[in-house]
Amino acid sequence: MATQYGFYFDSTRCVQCHTCENACKTTRNVEPGVKLRRVTEKWDGVFPNVTRTFFSLACMHCEEPACLEVCPTGAISKRAEDGIVVVDSDKCNGCRDCAAACPYGIPQFGKDGKLQMCDYCTPTGRPPACAVSCPAEALFYGTLEELWARAAGKPAKRMGGVAKPSIIVVG
Amino acid sequence: MNSDEEKMITTFCSLCGPAISCGINCYVKDGRLVRIEGMKESPVNKGKLCARAYGSMQWLYSPQRLKYPLKRVGEKGEGKFERITWDEALGIIADRLHEQKEKYGPESLAVLSPQHRSYKDYFLRFLTVHGSPNYGHSGICYVQRAFSFAYTLGNPSIGVQGCDYENADLIIIWTANPVTASTAMGTLRRILDARERGAKLVVIKPEMQSDASKADIWLPIRPGTNAALALAMINVIVNENLYDKEFVDKWCYGFDKLVPHIQQYSPEWAETITGLPSGRIREVARLYAKTKAACILAGNAFDQNTDSNNAVRAVSILMAITGHVDRPGGNIVPVDTFLTRVKSVNPRERYSQELVDKLVGPEMPIPFQPFMEGVSSAYYRCLDSVLSEQPYPLKTIMVAGTQPVVSTRNSGRIIEALKKLEFFVVIDVMENSSMPWADIVIPVSTMYESDHPFEVSPNWIMARNRVVEPLGDYKSDYQFWLDLGVKMGYGDDFWQGDMDKCMNYQLENFGMTIDELRQHPHGIVYDLKPMVYEKYEAIFNTPSPRLSKAPFLPQGKVAIYNTSFEEIGVNPLPQWVEPPESFTGTPELVEKYPLVYFDTHTSDVYNHAWLRNIPSLREIHPDPWVHIHPDTAKVRGIEDGDWVIIESPHGWVKVRAVYFPGIRPDTLMGLHGWWQGCEELDLPGSPLLDGGANTNVLYSTDPKKAFDPMVTAMPKQTLVQVRKAED
Repeated sequence: MATQYGFYFDSTRCVQCHTCENACKTTRNVEPGVKLRRVTEKWDGVFPNVTRTFFSLACMHCEEPACLEVCPTGAISKRAEDGIVVVDSDKCNGCRDCAAACPYGIPQFGKDGKLQMCDYCTPTGRPPACAVSCPAEALFYGTLEELWARAAGKPAKRMGGVAKPSIIVVG
Repeated sequence: MNSDEEKMITTFCSLCGPAISCGINCYVKDGRLVRIEGMKESPVNKGKLCARAYGSMQWLYSPQRLKYPLKRVGEKGEGKFERITWDEALGIIADRLHEQKEKYGPESLAVLSPQHRSYKDYFLRFLTVHGSPNYGHSGICYVQRAFSFAYTLGNPSIGVQGCDYENADLIIIWTANPVTASTAMGTLRRILDARERGAKLVVIKPEMQSDASKADIWLPIRPGTNAALALAMINVIVNENLYDKEFVDKWCYGFDKLVPHIQQYSPEWAETITGLPSGRIREVARLYAKTKAACILAGNAFDQNTDSNNAVRAVSILMAITGHVDRPGGNIVPVDTFLTRVKSVNPRERYSQELVDKLVGPEMPIPFQPFMEGVSSAYYRCLDSVLSEQPYPLKTIMVAGTQPVVSTRNSGRIIEALKKLEFFVVIDVMENSSMPWADIVIPVSTMYESDHPFEVSPNWIMARNRVVEPLGDYKSDYQFWLDLGVKMGYGDDFWQGDMDKCMNYQLENFGMTIDELRQHPHGIVYDLKPMVYEKYEAIFNTPSPRLSKAPFLPQGKVAIYNTSFEEIGVNPLPQWVEPPESFTGTPELVEKYPLVYFDTHTSDVYNHAWLRNIPSLREIHPDPWVHIHPDTAKVRGIEDGDWVIIESPHGWVKVRAVYFPGIRPDTLMGLHGWWQGCEELDLPGSPLLDGGANTNVLYSTDPKKAFDPMVTAMPKQTLVQVRKAED
């Protein structure tokens, strides 16, 4: 298997502090209204027996990206060397077919109407700002092999789905 | 982008206030700060930061930055100013202070600052040299807890920084929020690590904040009733013989008086007050008493209710009688490090009884002054004196990084005080809510535009480096106080305005000059000394910072029965006192106001009343909010996201309802500090008084009911009704 980079997310540690969101936003100068990463929450149960869980959500650089398959202009591609899914804005026509296809609600559209997604900070030559920032140590980056090694001994699984998202989830 | 073009400069954050800050690597390109990351070398944040820190670049470049010193030209409150020079600004202030010192005495000046900021010692120096004791401290943060811990257990930080998480099998987070407070500074990671290795987590707070979502046991306590819960837990532990008899015999004073006193506070009694089932109270009391390695993290809510001193004393007694003090996994007193203490610029040696006696509204009673920060008056009482003229009216108030109109209770009265006040000086980085009433506005630099002072934590010292050139006509807060000192003719006490000399004075014992310290771009980290537990002789005989230096604990033992408090007529044993408004204290109000309202002061993305103008942060919480249980909302026809009006006996606010399944259905929770708009997101500011989102208008400031008699803590909880807003 070719090298595939991805994320590791530990839901037992995430506390929705929004640091990853804002590290992404300000490090990459993301325009207002566009969230390349966001921390969602889910409630279950009835007071006082409620549970609240969080998920830090960004493009998961799927092995078989649904967005890529439906893109009519070839604006979305998957890099052979690291498996990162990237967008060529010049080719994007703003049709939003990708948004309809993505099972995770990831694609974002700014003022110019074109697709914006997490590019794993590849243009910067640095690791993803979100994963570096996490003060709870809930979010990590790396190759799937590295991330599986990090997950050793923990209740971890790769997120399911036909697109095969490149994320290992603990908890 | 080519990262080679960026220049890296290290500095440290100072957004959230505490004197210990997070190290930051700053990347500058063409003179502009383009990105930041946490500094790995810092033992405080270990390479991590928080959402606020990542917003700090937008803070630096905000269009709401003050640009130069201002003088009021319109009426008070009108907000009309003209530009003046620094020399003019300093001259106007100095002339006014000289004139008032002559006419009313130096104590007619107060400087207000709510948090433990690192510039605090500089204005404390200014006040002392000038002859005023009136440092107006918040009365809502940290010092309140610290005081009651110190005078019960002998150490001020034992219930906050003293948790031995690494060795704990049980951690109780008691109305603290390690997620929003000092997010990246280690407490959060340490708790998560402990949980991961199997420690149990109990979280006591009215709503399931994100830390509580990790709890094994969550006790959704009714706001403002911490003392009742703690007293009932003591009751269980005493009556079920779960206490540590050996420790109690050897190291506690007054346990015999506690036993009969505590009988009135049964779990059944506490159930009606706290809203927690008595069985749950028993369960947690037993769990804590029976778990050998167990610690309690006591949070900010303890500082913000009229039962503050009672509640913290009760929690202290819990720690003591269960043998959890300074033992592995308990609440400990950390050992020192190999870092040589630096000198403070706060000239405590000049404090005198005469100075202390002049306090306009002592934060703690006179016999207990000064406490750890210095001599202090309570923030609200400083402002109130302008109107009440009791015991005398302040004539000049200078506010350093604080906004009286949104930072303390009863904003309407505060505005009246600011109108009547002779001279009001606002010192801030940004335009703020109280600026319209200012006579002079002093614009200070951000942490990125200044090369001083240095930062010191227990085991890390680092010089601040200037990251970008100042974007306006700024001085730092620190330089401002030096320059004002010189202008007043106090130059000999202020190093004639030379900041390097001032820093070198502080570093004298350290054996290094500021220039030498600057050669270490990540500062210097020192080893911790090996931990020693059960240091009871030392802890229980710790000298207090009072003028007499008498120990905190007169008997050299835990003050279960507190003779120091008894001497000034305060109850020697902790007791339950109802807040100004509550279900059990004022049942006559419940028909009209059937819900409890309270607010949280820390937010995941804001800092008190700051940072609402930062677009990347404001996008996360764009509107003032109230958390409401869906059942409570639905019976009132309130949908998720509706604007609602919340009315208390004292005022009303208009905020957006957020359905929150993890909050007590009888309780609403809001966030303190709303007033500011966000230009970039086209969000307007909100009114400061009724109809806005300033929670301070909701609370009582009744002089007889709304102040803890020992530590002046004021309530942040009241009774309310909520309804859908019509427009």
